[in-house]
Amino acid sequence: MKTLKPRSSSNRPSPETALSIATAAAPNLPPTQLGSEDRPSTLNVRLRSSTVAAITSRARERGLTIKQVVCHALADAGISVAEADLEDRTPRRRG
Amino acid sequence: MGVFMSVLTIASSKGGPGKTTVCQALAASLAGELRIVALDADPTQALSRWATNAYEGPPVEVLAEPDETRLAHLIASKADTADLVLVDTAGFGNRAATVAMTSADAVLVPSLSGEADVTEAEKTIRLVEGLARAARREIPVRVLLNRVRRTTLARHAAAELKAAGLPRLAATLSDLVAYGEMTYSGRLSASGQSAAEVAALIAELRELGWIPVFALQQHVIP
Repeated sequence: MKTLKPRSSSNRPSPETALSIATAAAPNLPPTQLGSEDRPSTLNVRLRSSTVAAITSRARERGLTIKQVVCHALADAGISVAEADLEDRTPRRRG
Repeated sequence: MGVFMSVLTIASSKGGPGKTTVCQALAASLAGELRIVALDADPTQALSRWATNAYEGPPVEVLAEPDETRLAHLIASKADTADLVLVDTAGFGNRAATVAMTSADAVLVPSLSGEADVTEAEKTIRLVEGLARAARREIPVRVLLNRVRRTTLARHAAAELKAAGLPRLAATLSDLVAYGEMTYSGRLSASGQSAAEVAALIAELRELGWIPVFALQQHVIP
């Protein structure tokens, strides 16, 4: 006896509905794989004083930090630089 | 025979009951007659490694996808083209497994005989029941007792499942070296007890309508 497969054999939910149901039914479940957090780390670079002076000068001219000058230059050179590293995140004093 | 279904999720909120082994055995046994897609939602990627490094049988498309959003879309797209989509999930409560159970046409819950295994099997079944209610559709679920030894413990586990009202398959898989060897050799023995057990498992799943009897291509009228 042949078993013919129906054209629409399942009332399976759409991907969006399945995601919505799963999230609502078990909202506290973790993802299967935790994304690796882009944590800060340190890069120490030994440069000539004249180079440091040139970078510092450019930073003052543009109202940027030294790190921003370096990171913007790297980004302009096509290196993938994290958005956070292009911002001025210098701690500010209150008051 | 039940209505034909094409997405079979193998799940348990406990690690180590043999989800991947069951997935491997089903894929290896059915690949010659059905177009099988196996989705590996377990970040350990044991199924994917097996398919790449060890498996030697007829083609099985194996894709690793632990992200729940991409997995949901992958299940939907592969269900349209494959005869059977197997989804292997990680052995802990996680979003991808929950999505795979919600998207499934049926859920198989392997369990060992220990108390923690039976307890987690019950939790998994209750979760599937809740997902089915939320989705307003039937998601049939069965426990598959795995690595069974003919002991008082195994009989007690079966009795505990029955007392809790948890549906289980009559088929069981024994604690056989052949299943462990399959993970290295890529082949399931064609004869002997392991072959007979997997054949009995497939026959029961077919009787339930969880596995198609004929390949999709056989229904195409030329």
